Amino acid sequence: MAEDKARISDAPALEARGLHKRYGAVHALRGIDLAVWRGEMFALLGPNGAGKTTLFSIFATLLKPSEGTAHVLGFDSVRERVAVRQRMGIVFQEPALEGKLSVRDNLYLMGLFYGLSSRAARTRSAELLVTLGLEDVSTREAQKLSGGQKRRVELARALVATPEVLFLDEATLGLDVDARRLFWAEVRRYVGAGGTVFLTTHYMDEAEPADRIALIDHGQILALGSPQELKNRVGGGVLLLATDDDTQAAAWLREHGHQPELSARGVLLVESEPAAVLPDVLAHLPVRTRRAEVHEPSLEDVFLKLTGRALEDGNGKPAPRVPGGQP
Amino acid sequence: MRGLFAVIMLDLKRLWVDRVRLVSSLIQPLLYLFVLGSGLGASSRMGGSGYLHYIYPGVLGLSLLFSSVFAAMLIVFDRQIGFLKAVLVAPVPRVAIALGKVLSGAIQALVPATILLLLLPLLGMDLSLLSLLELIGTMILAAVTFSALGVATAARFRSTTVFPIIGNAVLLPMFFLSGALYPLDSAPTWLRWLARIDPVAYAVDLMRGAILDRYAYPPLLSLAVLLGFIGVLTWLATRVFAAGEDT
Repeated sequence: MAEDKARISDAPALEARGLHKRYGAVHALRGIDLAVWRGEMFALLGPNGAGKTTLFSIFATLLKPSEGTAHVLGFDSVRERVAVRQRMGIVFQEPALEGKLSVRDNLYLMGLFYGLSSRAARTRSAELLVTLGLEDVSTREAQKLSGGQKRRVELARALVATPEVLFLDEATLGLDVDARRLFWAEVRRYVGAGGTVFLTTHYMDEAEPADRIALIDHGQILALGSPQELKNRVGGGVLLLATDDDTQAAAWLREHGHQPELSARGVLLVESEPAAVLPDVLAHLPVRTRRAEVHEPSLEDVFLKLTGRALEDGNGKPAPRVPGGQP
Repeated sequence: MRGLFAVIMLDLKRLWVDRVRLVSSLIQPLLYLFVLGSGLGASSRMGGSGYLHYIYPGVLGLSLLFSSVFAAMLIVFDRQIGFLKAVLVAPVPRVAIALGKVLSGAIQALVPATILLLLLPLLGMDLSLLSLLELIGTMILAAVTFSALGVATAARFRSTTVFPIIGNAVLLPMFFLSGALYPLDSAPTWLRWLARIDPVAYAVDLMRGAILDRYAYPPLLSLAVLLGFIGVLTWLATRVFAAGEDT
């Protein structure tokens, strides 16, 4: 028993070992090993269909792995599902409020579902309504709120039972910039108070404030580290060229010893000193350059570099490649 | 226990918000009672009020059956809009979810049935207190049975368009077979055999027995059948909620 307790209090917030998930012939997760520390904001970043939601669902006790184990706060997410559920809060990808009930009742009832007494559920909902700035709409029917307000209610609902781990699945999909900013400010406040956040996203800017990011594609983790570490993997800087014919430009660059990647934004070159390469390239490129840009590598560049595909295309289709280009 | 309370509380709050549903759920039974009751009653050998008294418990059964299955349909609706997920991911024992849904469905069905109960004196039936209590007891038992039937079925459906179609295809025959509208004494043997596996038949028979003191099945048998149905169906619903790979 004492051993058990030690196991649980020292355990990482989330831990996956050799996770595989198959849906029939589809191999959605292909061997995931991962540890998320307590008090960390961790982002799973990847295009749609990369396996983000599958991995998320396994940790959140909603799905069983085909192989391997997942632990949350030391509890097995399959065998000790209830223990995990008692300690987690979750915001789903699709909105899941009872639209006909008031905001307050939505929170209050979820408090009951998480084992709070009726009085505690009431106090806790009132508290959250204040901290999340939802007091003014507390008696309104949930279905009459704006998209951003609904999401904040869902965040409040996930926090009702003061969880140790917060799961967010593409939580700000479809929200406008202001609503997103408000939402993430609340999430950061939760992390600041010692909570652990595990989120999935295919927006780079949502992953950016995370302590660590795992880049995931085709059911495998391609890279893992802090945003800065990931960007350092690209090395140096990025030179982005928009030309009249990007394909031809890329072919020419490849012939001349560069390693170009094609993206929707143009031809991308990762160089240790991009500014130094620029004049030579501009002078000799056989097609007209409409725009040239030098920047620090972004997460988008990291993803493109690792996969040869753009992240926010999102549909898993490879970006057009030059025949004979490297795989 | 708290989980059970939470599930029931959620549904009752929603019922309160959606009060119109109660009124509309009264229309169908009233139509059966007065249109069918008076129309058929006039040409029935039982005579006008005799037939009305005969179908009254049947109409109570009808109201309970359709209201509780309609309440169960909200489970399918919840699943479709994604709300059920939020409920199922809560640390509530699965049996509490199933039982909570069964009980809340029964409560939702008992509300319109109670309004129908208030018609008793108007229909010229006066019951002793004991019979009235017996009637109320059997109504509760019937409501729980029908609700369990609804929940065990609805838990498996994901489409709000398919469930009502299947529901009607099963419920109406169950209702017609139950002896609610006409006695099955002179019905063909196969029909009477089918009626024997119809929980509605036992429930209606118990209610009619409480009012008219006339039973087609031994009351203890009916009681055992209904309790058996409740147990098995709640267990089936629990299993569906526990599987949850798809939640």
